[in-house]
Amino acid sequence: MSYYDIDAILTDAEKIPCTFQIDVPDLGYLDNQPGHTLKSGSRVALPIWLAEMLAIANTGAVDMDDPSQSSKSFITFDLPPALGNDVVQALKADPRSVPLRDQSAHFYALATHMMELSEEPELSAVLRKTFVSRAAEIALHARKVGGGGSSYHGRDGGGGAGGKGKGKAAKEDNASNLGVGGAGEDFLRGLDEWERKLFRSAHDGTKASKEWMENVKKR
Amino acid sequence: MALPLPPGLTQNEVAFLAEMEMVTVVPRQRLDSIDLLGGKTPQLRPPHRAQLPLWLALLLKKQRRANIVPPAWMHPASLAEIIHRETKEDPEAFSPPPPPPSRALYSQPGTARRLNPSYLDDFTQTQPDSQQDPNSILSPPFLPSNVAESPAGYLPYHWLEVAEALLTHAGDDMPAPAGEVRSLLRDLVEVRAAKMRSSTSALEGFGDAWLTLRGVGAMELAENRAFLAGLVDGVRKIGASAEATRREEEEEARRGGDYGGDGDEDSDEDMGL
Repeated sequence: MSYYDIDAILTDAEKIPCTFQIDVPDLGYLDNQPGHTLKSGSRVALPIWLAEMLAIANTGAVDMDDPSQSSKSFITFDLPPALGNDVVQALKADPRSVPLRDQSAHFYALATHMMELSEEPELSAVLRKTFVSRAAEIALHARKVGGGGSSYHGRDGGGGAGGKGKGKAAKEDNASNLGVGGAGEDFLRGLDEWERKLFRSAHDGTKASKEWMENVKKR
Repeated sequence: MALPLPPGLTQNEVAFLAEMEMVTVVPRQRLDSIDLLGGKTPQLRPPHRAQLPLWLALLLKKQRRANIVPPAWMHPASLAEIIHRETKEDPEAFSPPPPPPSRALYSQPGTARRLNPSYLDDFTQTQPDSQQDPNSILSPPFLPSNVAESPAGYLPYHWLEVAEALLTHAGDDMPAPAGEVRSLLRDLVEVRAAKMRSSTSALEGFGDAWLTLRGVGAMELAENRAFLAGLVDGVRKIGASAEATRREEEEEARRGGDYGGDGDEDSDEDMGL
C-alpha cells in the first residue's frame, strides 16, 4: 500500500498487543506507572507502525555470556483481538453473519498487514473464503438497493442468507443510500472499508445500467 | 485532476459502439450508396433487403424511409429457449456466443468452413489454398450477429444494446408484441446478473483466482467490471504475503539445486523461449 494512501495510514494506526522484551526506563506511564521503569514482559497496546519498527529492529546489545543471543528485538507482538480465534471460528462457521466493522473498520487491510509480518496460512484461507462469499452477498444487496428488478428469484434466493430481508419489493428507487430497509441493513452496516468500496462499485454499475435502460427512449 | 469514472467503458459508450453492428433493413425508398470511412453502404432499392450499420438503420427508420428486420435470436421463441438454457440446462456457465458464420465446404461434402477464417485457425482444416487474411473479422461489432440471417438461440456480444434500440425505435417491426419481447429480455437480464454474482464463488478455493466470462454481453461487462476487478484485486491482496513466501521458497529450491547456474534464469524478462 502506498505511503500516502489514507486507508493504509488508518490501518497502521490500529493497535496490537505487544510484550516488551527489555526494561525501558521512564516509559512506565504506558503501563499506568508514571515515573517508573517499564519492566520487561509488560503488555502494552501499540499502533502497528510503531510495533512493526520495534519488533523488526534489534537492540544491538551484545550479551557477553551468550554471544548467540546477542540481538534481541525490543518487543514481540500478537494478533489483534479483531483477528482472534473466536472471530476466525465465527467466520469459518458463517462468514455472512459476522459484522466485520465491529471488529475493525479496516478488517481486511489489518489482516493483510499482519499476514505480511508473520505467517498465518489458516487466516489467509479463511479470509479469502470470507471475502468472496460476502462479496456475492454485497452484489446482491447492491442490486436490490439500486432499484434493480426482482422479477426472477431463482438462484440468488437460495444463497444461504434467506432471512436477510429479501421481502423488499423492487422499487423505482434511485437513491444511493447504504442499506435501505430490511434486515439487509444489518449486513450492510457490518461491512469494512474494502467491502464498502466493492458495494459502491457494484451499486454504481447497477445504477448506471438502470439509467441507461430508462434513457434509451430519449435518444 | 482525477477522472471520477471507473476504468473501462460506461454504459452509454458501450451503446454507442454497439451502433456499429450491422442489421438487415428493408428500404421503402431508393437511396444511393454513401461513401463512409468504413466503406460504401449498399445501394438501397426497395423491396430488396440490405445490410446497414445500426446507427444508419435507426436514422432511416426515424425518417420512415426503411424498416428494420429484427435478428432471428430476438424472436420470443428464441429468447425463451435461451432463458431455458440459462436456467435449466447450464446454470453455471453463460450461454455460448453465436458460432462464427460458415458455409459448406464443397470439396469435402458434409463439412463446413468459416466464412472469415482468422489467422488463429489451423489452415489445413479449412480452406487449404487460402492465404492468411489480414482483414479477417475477429470480434464484434464487426461479426455479423444481428442481421436477419444470424442464428437463433445464441446471444451475440451486443445483445442488450441492439435489442433495446430496436425495441424502442422499431417496435412495430417486431414479429411479436414489443411488450412480450421486452419482458423476456428483462428476465434474461436478471437471470444473467444472478449468474454473474454466483460465478464469483469460483474464487473461494485455494489456488489461482480466475473467472470464466465466456458468453457475457457488453452491457453486463460494463456494469460489473468495477465490482469484479475490485473482488479479484481483494483476493490478490489477501493472498499476497503467502504468494511472496511461496515464490521465495521456489527461488531457494531452484537456486539450491542449480548452484552454478547463471542469474539470468530468474529474470522476469526471460520467457523461456
